Amino acid sequence: MIKHIADTIFKWYCHPDFYLDIKGDLEELYSDHLVENKKKAQLKYLVDVILLFRISLLRPIFQNSIIKDSGMFRNYFKVSVRNLARHKMFTAINVIGLAIGLASFLLMYEYIKFEKSYDAFHSDSDKIYRVSYVRVQNSMDTDKDAMAAYPTGKILEETLPEIIDHTVSKKFDFLLIKNGDKSFKERLVISADPNFLKLFNYPVLEGDIESMLSEPESVVLTESRARAYFGDADAMGKILEVVSPYKTSLKVTGILKDIPDNTHYSFNMLVSDKTLEEGQDYNNWDWNNYYVYLKSDREVDLAVLEAKANDAVNEHTNNLDKDENWKTNGTRLDIHPVRGIHLKSDFTYEPQIHGSEKAVDFLIIISVFILVIAWVNYINLSTARAVERAKEVGLRKVIGAIRKQLIIQFLCEAFIVNLISALIAIGLAELTLPYFNQLVGKEVIDSVWNQLPFLISIAAFVFIGTFASGFYPALVLSNFTPISVLKGKFQNSKKGIALRKGLVIAQFAASLILIASTFIIYQQVNYMQGKDIGISVDQVVNVTVPESDAETEEENIAARNKLKAFKKELANHSAIESVGAASNLPGGDVADINSTTTVVRFAGDTEPTEGTTYIQYNDEGFLDAVDMELVAGRNFSEAIKSDSVAVMANEAFLRRLNVPDFASVVGKKLQFGTRETNTKYTLVGVVRDFNRTTLKEQVEPSLYFPWFNADDLVIELSSNNYQAGLDHIKDTWDQFYQDAPLNYSFLDERFAALYDQDRSFGDTFMVFAILAVFIAILGLYGLASFMSVQKSKEIGVRKVLGASESQIIFLFYKDFFSLVGISSFFGFPLIYFLMNGWLDNYAYRISFPWVLLVISLIIVLVFSLVTVGYQTLKVAKLDPAKTLKYE
Amino acid sequence: MKKYQLGEFEEIVLLTVGVLYDEAYGVGIKEEIQTRLKRKVSVGALQSALRRMEKKGYLKSREGEANAKRGGKPKRFFVITAYGREALEYSKDVRTQLWNAIPEVALDLKMV
Repeated sequence: MIKHIADTIFKWYCHPDFYLDIKGDLEELYSDHLVENKKKAQLKYLVDVILLFRISLLRPIFQNSIIKDSGMFRNYFKVSVRNLARHKMFTAINVIGLAIGLASFLLMYEYIKFEKSYDAFHSDSDKIYRVSYVRVQNSMDTDKDAMAAYPTGKILEETLPEIIDHTVSKKFDFLLIKNGDKSFKERLVISADPNFLKLFNYPVLEGDIESMLSEPESVVLTESRARAYFGDADAMGKILEVVSPYKTSLKVTGILKDIPDNTHYSFNMLVSDKTLEEGQDYNNWDWNNYYVYLKSDREVDLAVLEAKANDAVNEHTNNLDKDENWKTNGTRLDIHPVRGIHLKSDFTYEPQIHGSEKAVDFLIIISVFILVIAWVNYINLSTARAVERAKEVGLRKVIGAIRKQLIIQFLCEAFIVNLISALIAIGLAELTLPYFNQLVGKEVIDSVWNQLPFLISIAAFVFIGTFASGFYPALVLSNFTPISVLKGKFQNSKKGIALRKGLVIAQFAASLILIASTFIIYQQVNYMQGKDIGISVDQVVNVTVPESDAETEEENIAARNKLKAFKKELANHSAIESVGAASNLPGGDVADINSTTTVVRFAGDTEPTEGTTYIQYNDEGFLDAVDMELVAGRNFSEAIKSDSVAVMANEAFLRRLNVPDFASVVGKKLQFGTRETNTKYTLVGVVRDFNRTTLKEQVEPSLYFPWFNADDLVIELSSNNYQAGLDHIKDTWDQFYQDAPLNYSFLDERFAALYDQDRSFGDTFMVFAILAVFIAILGLYGLASFMSVQKSKEIGVRKVLGASESQIIFLFYKDFFSLVGISSFFGFPLIYFLMNGWLDNYAYRISFPWVLLVISLIIVLVFSLVTVGYQTLKVAKLDPAKTLKYE
Repeated sequence: MKKYQLGEFEEIVLLTVGVLYDEAYGVGIKEEIQTRLKRKVSVGALQSALRRMEKKGYLKSREGEANAKRGGKPKRFFVITAYGREALEYSKDVRTQLWNAIPEVALDLKMV
């Protein structure tokens, strides 16, 4: 492989006259080295080929072109290098700008590539689809739920010929596993049928792919989890004891390579779904709790496939339940390619937090900005130097240089600048990679060296950059007429100045956009974190009690009493304000709660109300612990017997039912479904709305049912003595549940974690915005210094005539003021358009902060005025006698 | 006077071509230098020196036979031209003159 690549390279550059015999020498050496070690021989071969890259052995680059003469070609390099070395500031500004620009562009590019590579590692990844259900009402999608019913996959594979395989899988919240005296709370556990591993072909290390999930009570581990449980010992055939939420033991039947990060459906542990068969209804069409995947044998037209699949499923289910028409009527299947899930999904109940295409698009824009700003610097500085170089060009022309030669000369210079920058960029990227991975919160790549595409794209960017940044200056500089420049009448052309101003405006506009966007992102994230969500979760600790392993009724009662005693003992301390329990903790994932799309109505009402209702179970202490406010009615009470059929609703739920006065409905009965015989729940209270999950989502219409033995405890600590409260929790825990490890977490941290992705997006945006602005300022600095030097004579004359330093500086400022003004004219609408769109992603968003635009403008102004002012002041302070000496 | 331009490495290559007489081709020269001078030579440096000196007229070359070990590629044999020989002799003379010009004291001093 290496040899083949080396051969291709060699053939490409070697002079044809020499090719055959040098190739022969290479082959001879290779066959000598081959005796020792093949890999080494190949590497030596490659090294030889690289060392053979010498000007005297190169093929003529363009037949019949002036570069054919390698001596002249070398001269271009020599002159370029000398020129760059002489103008150190010019070179440094360009190289630094380009290196930073290129490094950040390429890192960002890797990140974007990573985000777009999700689930691409499955072979046939473009033929794998996921089936989901979408509820439609008045031809609007009301609920888009990523999960589907278990039998869907089977029916579709049976009825549609293009579907050749399907698999159904379910995600657990967690498994509590005991292995000897160690216990693990294993998250990322899924169950699946035996097809799962065939459809997705994860690399198997041990075990038989056909059988490893076919038996009940089998488990497949990833390599690193197997090591965590069993160390270096062979894990195959070993038993893991599961204590919660099911009591069972699982036999390890297979080991997979660790699942790559870039998948929408990650897992550490794969349980055969036969294990769970009891208690699950695999023929239930109403229970959308499974992720259903299909594989087709060819590329399919999604719209056609969807239509056919809907027909197939409707035909099947209509026979099952004709009377309850809500199940099929208004529900359709949605089939989407598995590769699009990570960035494009707008479904609820995704297995894990997914990325956002919008964020990726934003990063693409910013990375292009950075690179273009750096190139613009080169163009601006080079053309600004035109006056300086005009004489050189004139002289060359007089001696007989033709225009083509001059263009090559200047492109050569651009090439060297780009090349040096690229080399620095590689080093910079490698050095900053760990920070970059941390910034975006993912291990995008571990080193740039093993990324061949990365290095190739660097090479590509050297060439693109050479032309993008060098071509215009080359054209301008080569165009001077020798007579006028040598006579000393040369001036910058009007067109050149206009272009330079245009580019500076573009840079200012880009800087404005980036600064303002960063501010807006941060303000939105801070707003979300600081917003009153309707409950108070400061100082609230969550502790989950172990699932009881009771088998008989007596044991069950004992476990319940133990929990009750535990709660009572916890509350029995001055540092603990209140103790409650619930089935779902506030601050969870969108998917972290039960929901139903069944009709919920007041008994007697016939008006159907549709939409998802979210359901939580909690005890009477829950409201107190999170300071949830009762708007009307009362809380549950375990003492009131009838409260077993009580329910509380939130305002959002009642608003959906068009209840104007919340107090008026307290005491009414609520029913699920349309049958009159269904259980009637008494509405005892109405609670204030609160945001259970991120503020990207609206408050969910929710019902709260009593469950006095809920196992997720929420404990409110007194704010002035919370350490004592924590100690008390530890002591009490050891007293009651000494067997299980105590894991506690703070609810406000749970809420903060919801915004991790937004914050990391903001951080990424900020870092790159700062870099972009830095490069732009760098260019401005260079430009200002050239212009002020060029105008030193004009300044001298003005000073002689009596102008003060401040008047001179103001003269320069006037120009820049108008440039910044124009750029904000273009920049502001763009910012509004981009960022308002971004804010629209959030159900709760800040109103567009116009004042931030002004602040960004001021920042850009201050930075550019300081830069320009510093340069101008230097020249303005010069003694006019010196600047005018030779006139 | 810039009559003959012969770099240090070029001189070694030229001499080695002379030593090998009729058997001087790429790999052969490379190995000869490596064994005689205990000095690593890259194919690149060697080939470009050979081509350069051929251009200057110090060397001339002819194509030899092909063999399987070389993947069917021919060997290119180099021989010193009369002009090359002159260049070598010139550089040898220059060195001898310089050697002779070193005062004995200078050499003595070095030995202390």
